[in-house]
Amino acid sequence: MRKAFFQGKSSSAGYARDRMKLLLISERIDCSPQMMKMLRKDIIHSVKKYITIDEEQVMLQISQEPPVLYASIPVQKKKDR
Amino acid sequence: MSEVIVITSGKGGVGKTTTVANIGTGLAMMGKKVAVVDTDIGLRNLDVVLGLENRIVYNLVDVINGTCRLRQALIKDRRHQELYLLPSAQTKDKTAVSPEQMIKLVEDLREEFDYILLDCPAGIEQGFKNAIAGADKALVVTTPEVSAIRDADRIIGLLEAHDLRDIHLIINRLRPDMIARGDMMSVEDVIEILAVDLIGTILDDEQIVIATNQGEPLSGRNSQAEEEYYNICKRLMGEEIPFVPISRKRGFFKRLGSIFKK
Repeated sequence: MRKAFFQGKSSSAGYARDRMKLLLISERIDCSPQMMKMLRKDIIHSVKKYITIDEEQVMLQISQEPPVLYASIPVQKKKDR
Repeated sequence: MSEVIVITSGKGGVGKTTTVANIGTGLAMMGKKVAVVDTDIGLRNLDVVLGLENRIVYNLVDVINGTCRLRQALIKDRRHQELYLLPSAQTKDKTAVSPEQMIKLVEDLREEFDYILLDCPAGIEQGFKNAIAGADKALVVTTPEVSAIRDADRIIGLLEAHDLRDIHLIINRLRPDMIARGDMMSVEDVIEILAVDLIGTILDDEQIVIATNQGEPLSGRNSQAEEEYYNICKRLMGEEIPFVPISRKRGFFKRLGSIFKK
């Protein structure tokens, strides 16, 4: 929640950070930011069918050498639902 | 055991040369024998930052072509006993040297020096390939701006592709006031984006401009930047120096203190 607040319109740094993350990931694997967004959407869609997850917090990251795709998908506990 | 360190960035104007001058001076002040090499052939500038521009006779290309011996081209810094500069050529272009020749040059320097710092040209062409060819370690300099970060990421990828995997990051020109306002990416943001090991954080400091004007790096101005360059030198020598959070660096009272010192 706090993070979301800081990433709001008032913070140009947050905007820059989000842009860079998306851009660099896509450059590392030659996959456009548009395709990364679609991939993220598809992953969320697939996982959601089986377990409840916190969609907002899903993070995709690609390490550089060797390039590996990591997806961090927070799962919601039963009592939180 | 000598170590060859290339200082690179991709983007120009982020502070590579200043970093080389300050780290070179710092290591020399700590008693290490240091050679700083300007590998930017055609655009010489490490000499002016060090204040040694009037003493150049021979240059890197002369050494490689065999016009002179290595010792003849090395300029000894009078202020620091253990600091030597190998200047670049101004008349030749980047294709005058090959990576193999650079490796040979670096091997010769290894015999005499503890640390060899290579000031890499901006860009990713021949000059970059030459500079990284003989290096053991790379320091990537960036600023917290999108253009510099994007280029740094490209450079890190290229270094790894050339099997240079000992890579450390220096984030330069940080402004705590802008970071606090949320208008500049923080150290944590940059590390998260680039995913490399941090070795130093330098604040945007007008003392650096003054020092460069005078051709005297690390000359005891008691600035934060100077302190952090010392820390980088110690970290290069294997000491564990903790990172001070940016917001706490150069606080109000410290600044007040430095006003009174004047």
